[in-house]
Parts: sequence; C-alpha cells; structure tokens
Amino acid sequence: MNSVEISLTVGVVSTVLSLPLAIAMALYLERTRSRVRHAVQTLIMLPLVLPPVVTGYLLLKVFSPIGPLGRTLARLGAPVAFHWLGAVIAAAVVGFPLFVLMIALAIKAVDPRFERVSRSLGVSPWRTFWRVTLPLTWPGILAGAAVAFARGLGEFGATIILAGRIPGETQTIPLQIYAELDAPGGERRIVGLVLTACAFCLVCVALSRILDSWYRRRLELDR
Amino acid sequence: MKLEVAARLHRPGGFTLDASFRCEAQTVGIVGPSGSGKSTLLDAIAGIEPGSRVVVDGEDMSPRPLHRRNVGYVTQDALLFPHLDVRSNLLFSPRAGPLGDVPAALGIERLLDRMPRNLSGGERRRVALARAILSRPQLLLLDEPFAGLDEARRREAMSLLASLRERFRVPMILVSHVAEEIIGLAEWAVRLEAGQVVRAGPSASVLRAGETRIDNYLTGTVVGDRRVLVEGIELAAAIPRSASGEVRLACYAADILLARERPRAISARNCFEAVVRSLTDAEEMVIVEIESPRLRAVVTPQALDELALSPGSSVIVIAKATAFAHVGAA
Repeated sequence: MNSVEISLTVGVVSTVLSLPLAIAMALYLERTRSRVRHAVQTLIMLPLVLPPVVTGYLLLKVFSPIGPLGRTLARLGAPVAFHWLGAVIAAAVVGFPLFVLMIALAIKAVDPRFERVSRSLGVSPWRTFWRVTLPLTWPGILAGAAVAFARGLGEFGATIILAGRIPGETQTIPLQIYAELDAPGGERRIVGLVLTACAFCLVCVALSRILDSWYRRRLELDR
Repeated sequence: MKLEVAARLHRPGGFTLDASFRCEAQTVGIVGPSGSGKSTLLDAIAGIEPGSRVVVDGEDMSPRPLHRRNVGYVTQDALLFPHLDVRSNLLFSPRAGPLGDVPAALGIERLLDRMPRNLSGGERRRVALARAILSRPQLLLLDEPFAGLDEARRREAMSLLASLRERFRVPMILVSHVAEEIIGLAEWAVRLEAGQVVRAGPSASVLRAGETRIDNYLTGTVVGDRRVLVEGIELAAAIPRSASGEVRLACYAADILLARERPRAISARNCFEAVVRSLTDAEEMVIVEIESPRLRAVVTPQALDELALSPGSSVIVIAKATAFAHVGAA
C-alpha cells in the first residue's frame, strides 16, 4: 500500500473503531449527573493538549511488545507497536477528544425532554436511544466522524513513536512527507501528497459543516 | 381516580419541594405562581424525578421507572419527534393500537402525513395530546397546556380537553399558574407556593379573591337556529349559523345569573329551572354548582343568603345567548 492508501485505511478504521465508544462517552457526559463526570471529561480531553509525541510514548509503554498487553496482542496476531494497528490506535486516541466533543454538542442540541416523552410513552431507555436520540443526532455524529477522520489523517507524533515509519505498512502521508523533506529533491516529490492531504481535509471539513447545518435544520434549531 | 402523592426533593440552588396530598377525582389541578414547584411536582409524579411516593388507585407506582409508569406527559412545547411524521408520532408508543377515532376527536385527521415542522403551534399541541391518549395512559399529566394561547384558543383547548376526558375516560393532572384556568376542568386542586402545598381541596376552594373567570364547558347538539340541546335543556348560544351536529360551548361562571323567580321581561335568552348540586366557599365568593346542565356560577355570600340556596333546592338560571361561546365541533 502507498502512503495515501495507508492514511485512508488508518483514518477509516480508527474512526469506525472509536465511534461506539465516542457515542457512549458523549452520552455519559451529556446525559448523566454523575459526580465523576468532570474527571472523566478531563481524562478524555487530555490527548487534545498533550504533545502527540508524549501521547505516543505513553501508548508505546502500554502496548510495548515486552509488556503483558502487547505480548498478549502479538500472540493473538494483532501486535500494536510498529504495526499498522499502532497507527490506527494513535490516530484514534489523538482524534478521540474532538470526536467526543462533536458528538456531545450534537446530543446537547437535542432537548432531553424528547427522550423523556419517549419513555413516558412506554419506550425503554435503550429503545429510546435507537428511536429518538440516534435519529436526531446521527448527522451530528457523522460531522464529528468527518472531523475525527481529518484529525487522524494528519496524525504524526504519536504515530511515529507507536507505529514507526515502515514504508508500505505504517508510513502515512505525514510520515512520508517528513521523510521526503529529509531527502534530496524530496520537496518536488511531496507536491502531490500535500495537495492530496489538503483536498482530504477540505472535503472532511466541508462535509462536517454541511451535515451540521442539516441536522440543525432537522431539529429546527435555526428557525 | 384515587391519588396519593408524597413528593420530597431538593434541587441544586436551594429549592425544596415538599408536597403531599391525597384525593379522589377524575381531574386534579395543580396551581401556583411561577417557580412554586408545579412542574417539579409533575416530574415527581411522572417518575422523572425519583424518590417520591405516588399511589394511583391503590397501586404504588414509585418503584416503576418512567417508561413503566404508564403516564402520558404533555408539555406546552408539544415535543413532537421532529424526524417522524404525525402518523408515526401518534403510533410511537408500543402501547398504541390503531388510530381509531382519536385523530378525528382532536381534528387532526388531515395532518397525518405532515412533518411536525409544517404544523402550527395549536396543531402540534393537539397531536401531542392525541399521541399521549393513544398510549393508553393510566394517568395523563399536562404541564401548562394552555400557556401562550390567546383567550379564544385557550377556551377552545380547554373545552376540547373537557370533551376528551368524558370520551376517553382518562384521569388527568393539569398544571397551570393561573388557578381559574383549570378550575373549570378540575374537580380537585392543590395550590402550591414555594414548594409547599398551601391549600388543597375541591377545586373552587383553592381559588382566591378576584379569581372569578372560571369556565364552564358543555357539549350539545345543534337543534335549530343558534339553539343547542345540552343535557335536556335547549340553550340559545352564540354559535355560527353554519354550525350543525355536536358542538362544544364555553361559558364563564361569572356570566351565569341565579334568581328565585322567573323574570317577566328580560333580554337574556336563556332562563330555565335547575337544581343546586353543591355550594363551595372560595375566598369572598361562593361557587354554586347546578345540574342539568352542569354549570358553575359565582355569587357573593350576600347573594347566597338572599337567595337562600342549599344543595337540592331549585333555582332559576339566567344567561345571555352570548354567554355561551362556540369553541368548536365536538
């Protein structure tokens, strides 16, 4: 695989894998009154402010091939460190805070009384999530996914520490650009990659905006 | 319905609700100024706010979460699910059976394929009410259902509720910050102030001086030119000439006059004999309830003394035709 294909694969897999957890976390933050909520929120937001290299280092400590978790995963055929799964995990962790924030905003825009009305009509909280919360928030969730995907595409620091720069396996667009800039004549070779990265990010942000305004109309927030 | 409520809860910011009452009535009113805890009390009854004891007809609902309480909850914002059309909103509850005559009773049968964003405020409220009724609730909770409506719309909505209550036999708890707004509908009422019950009893007894705009709601059949037959009495009423079939009328209690003898020549078009059913003291006035047709009149204690009225005594009821306003088809 070339770096564009690797970036797209890593971006899609990391976004899809973190989606259920991001929804669950956003629901927890927006719809519960738990006292530990603020502590959880701080923890989730940490990768947003931590230097990505530090995040990568901490992840490497967790998934180290000589550690118990890394060893077990390697035995199961899914080693994380210096493997494309490492790039997926790095992108997922770094993009997670933005993803949760965007979904939380989408859930916040839904009047919680809709969910109460649904329950008063005899629908369980779980069914209410599927029949009311999700249909009302999914454009917002997709908008969040687009942003998280774009953030994953640009991930560099954590990826190079956790997954390394293995051409054809973990070398994403930013890693290849970094490598080419180090080599003579590389600046000419990266023009295509730079344009591709810009185009991907532009599409993601535009898609996110379109979805956001669509769901606001859907909820009649802009009336 | 026999209802027993003991709600005690604290809200961040220092508000405490400590309201207990027990009653037996088909419609209960909760009245009080803004911020007195009416909606919080309704939330406690619904099970949205946990920790309160609610017993309906001997059945303790307290351990049941909201989705197992079987209460219909209608707020002033209607809260129709914006991603579903009217029909899907109406059939949202797993308890909802076929639509039957509910949409027709609420005048929304032509709106079934519309999306909520294409409905007017009044239409939304009627759909929300129909949705709650279709979920076959054991108890219907209505939070300020008439807020923001002008006088004509409010009377129309209240008379509609009165007719729905008779038709579908759903016990209701109504919340309003205007006491007289719901006294016309509720047989029993609770007045809340700062989270405490300051008065509870037959609805007229929680009224205060000056609160005299109690409405009467009647349903009858048009039998002639602006004449409506209500419980065996033919009333002259201000209905459009085009009205026919079943109609709903509203009449303020203060617009009903009572007399001992039939006046000889009078401009009022309605003059008939009726029987006093009950007398209730409200501050500085007395509510006289008469039967056939069932109406409430407000009189001063002095007038009551002069008329020497007591339950069971007969009285002459006088009202202008314009006192009976047409508020819609039944």
